[in-house]
Amino acid sequence: MATKSNYGWLQGRTVRKGGHASSNSHTRSSTPQVQSTSTTIFGGGIKDPSGRTSEYFSMDDQCPVCKSDRYLNPKLRLLVSSCYHKMCESCIDRLFTLGPASCPNCDKILRKLAFSPQTFEDLGVEKEVAVRRRIAKEFNKRLEDFDDLRSYNDYLEEVEDIAFNLINNIDIPATEERIAAYKAANAALTSLNLQREEAEALALKEQEDLERREREARAAQLAQQEQQEREERQREERELIDKLETSQKDAHKIVAKSRIAAAKRSSARAASSSANSSLLGMSFGMDYAKLLKTRTTKVNNVPDEPHVPFLDDYYAYDDLYTVRAEGYDDIISEAVRRDREGIMRAGGYKVEEAWNRALLTAVAGLDAAPLSGLDEPNSLGDVDVVMESV
Amino acid sequence: MKRPLYEASTQYKNWRYSPERLSQIRTTMNEAAVGVIRKTFEAYEPGSSSNVSFVNAHEEHLLVTFYVHKISQLCGHFRFPEEVEATAASYLKRFYLKNTVMDWHPKNVMLTALFLATKTTNNPISLDAYASHIPNTVASDVLDLEFLVSQSLAFEFAVWHAHRALWGIWLDIQNLPDSPPDIAQTQSSIYDSALGHVRAARLTDAEFIYTPSQIALACISLVAPALAKKWLESKANITIPENQTDIPPRPSAAALSASIEAIESIITKTGKVPNVEAVREVDRRLRTCKNPEKVVGTKAYLARKAEAEKKAEEKRNKKAEGQKTNGAGDVDPFGDPLAEPVKPGLVDYDDDDDDD
Repeated sequence: MATKSNYGWLQGRTVRKGGHASSNSHTRSSTPQVQSTSTTIFGGGIKDPSGRTSEYFSMDDQCPVCKSDRYLNPKLRLLVSSCYHKMCESCIDRLFTLGPASCPNCDKILRKLAFSPQTFEDLGVEKEVAVRRRIAKEFNKRLEDFDDLRSYNDYLEEVEDIAFNLINNIDIPATEERIAAYKAANAALTSLNLQREEAEALALKEQEDLERREREARAAQLAQQEQQEREERQREERELIDKLETSQKDAHKIVAKSRIAAAKRSSARAASSSANSSLLGMSFGMDYAKLLKTRTTKVNNVPDEPHVPFLDDYYAYDDLYTVRAEGYDDIISEAVRRDREGIMRAGGYKVEEAWNRALLTAVAGLDAAPLSGLDEPNSLGDVDVVMESV
Repeated sequence: MKRPLYEASTQYKNWRYSPERLSQIRTTMNEAAVGVIRKTFEAYEPGSSSNVSFVNAHEEHLLVTFYVHKISQLCGHFRFPEEVEATAASYLKRFYLKNTVMDWHPKNVMLTALFLATKTTNNPISLDAYASHIPNTVASDVLDLEFLVSQSLAFEFAVWHAHRALWGIWLDIQNLPDSPPDIAQTQSSIYDSALGHVRAARLTDAEFIYTPSQIALACISLVAPALAKKWLESKANITIPENQTDIPPRPSAAALSASIEAIESIITKTGKVPNVEAVREVDRRLRTCKNPEKVVGTKAYLARKAEAEKKAEEKRNKKAEGQKTNGAGDVDPFGDPLAEPVKPGLVDYDDDDDDD
């Protein structure tokens, strides 16, 4: 085992002094573990949410400049330039110690500090992630910053355009100009959104903290309860034995009685503990609700669409009559109108509506001519159906 | 062109007939019923139908009209509003356009129609209170026919009434430019006698031929022809606004006058309660020519009942068979019954309660 782990580097693993091999074969969990031959500390690289960079590392690594590989130099560490070309640390030291020099692959002028550790195996991904990180920092507008979804989508499209250009080296100067213009125009909003994001991240962390604390409190309570229970049980047993020793009564009865008492106690305990836990949950829940409230930043107020009433092509005779505003001298509705307390109108009865309906009936179908002759195909068949079905 | 609202009603669409059509419906239905009943008689007692004198269509109508009158008596007893009475009368008349009195006696149908009308016009009364106020009637007598009546009405319960139209006209007359302001007080006798005519029109076929507004106008015209004419002209003279070209033309007094006259003659000629003696005679004959399948206790009734039961039994068997073939015959569709959980007793009940 010991001999094996000493050759751990042969399988692409980091070898530590204690002989402990890291479990992942292709990446290192954090930067400080990397064995560096250079005196320079290379920063940058793609950081994961915890702020660490996991460096890509493989057995087949070979420096494209000096062709030295891991077999020849087990401490080989490849770094990535800002033009996304790989180079080993010794080559970097050799080429760039005396100041800026051109990249051996693409002749771009590079400095020593332009190199950063590699996170992804594919350098295309490395570049894309870096570009997108940079873009996301500037272009951090949200949906609620726009009037409608359409303009938000247009904005996203533009951002995607810029990112694509940067990743694929299309029209870099023009794209950079666009970014600069955007930056100038939206500086205030960008910083505001940045603050918002930070606040949200903080809130999320708080919430996680809270949940963790709650879990711990619960566990502690549970442990305490168990302890209590155990003690009580022991005490009961002792009491029972004492009783059996001293009492003159039937042993069966004594045992049964103590059993009842134990059941009662345990149910009381359960009740009190459930009350306790609900109390605990409530206090945490309230905090959580408050947290949620602070996190909801803005309510989108979408204006209601105007109501369109149902339209049909019926003519309701409404120009043939008008309900008189001053009312009518009407004996039929007199009782309702005289009713001062409004008892008869309590259900929503309005005498105007009754008048309206009467007037409508008075003019409805005045001009309908009566039918004549036998040509109307009425359903006489119905008669038999009704008679038969009964 | 917009359609007038009244033409959307079922009353306009399904319950409007020409006078010829009405009499044709009644005659054909009477003949068909007589044919069926005669056959039933022959089937159980051959030769028994030869000396039965069946009621004819006119006599049927007489009987129905009499029971329409009975409805208004009953409504007076219950103090139901006018609307209930009018609705029930319409239901009864409509029912006998689809059924014959030889199958269903109007004295039973009337009770159901009235009870149904109290419900559809939102004047509810409890069934028990209703049945207890009518002699020799129990709740089931009213309810048994309810579905039959509803079915015959094609579930079209909304009725436009002439008395409401009369009320509307009477209100609107106060709005006429040259009518005295206290016309409703001084000439209330016009309204009262016109309402009498509306009630008389309920005994006639007017509502099957004309619209409620026309009937109401004719009733006013019977009492005060000048007033009715003035009101109608005021309506005909309302100018159609320029921007509304799609509304129907105004009612014309000239075109309406024929209808008004016809309604007036219908009301004066047929708007009477039938002679009780004549009705009694029809009712006596009806007892002999009732459809035997609908009379409890007769051979035909029992045979029909047995047949119906046999059919129902067959249906049930078929259903059970179908379930069995589906493999669901012996399995409860709601799954196995829940097992009663056995609770371990926390307490020993045999403990005596002597504390020490």
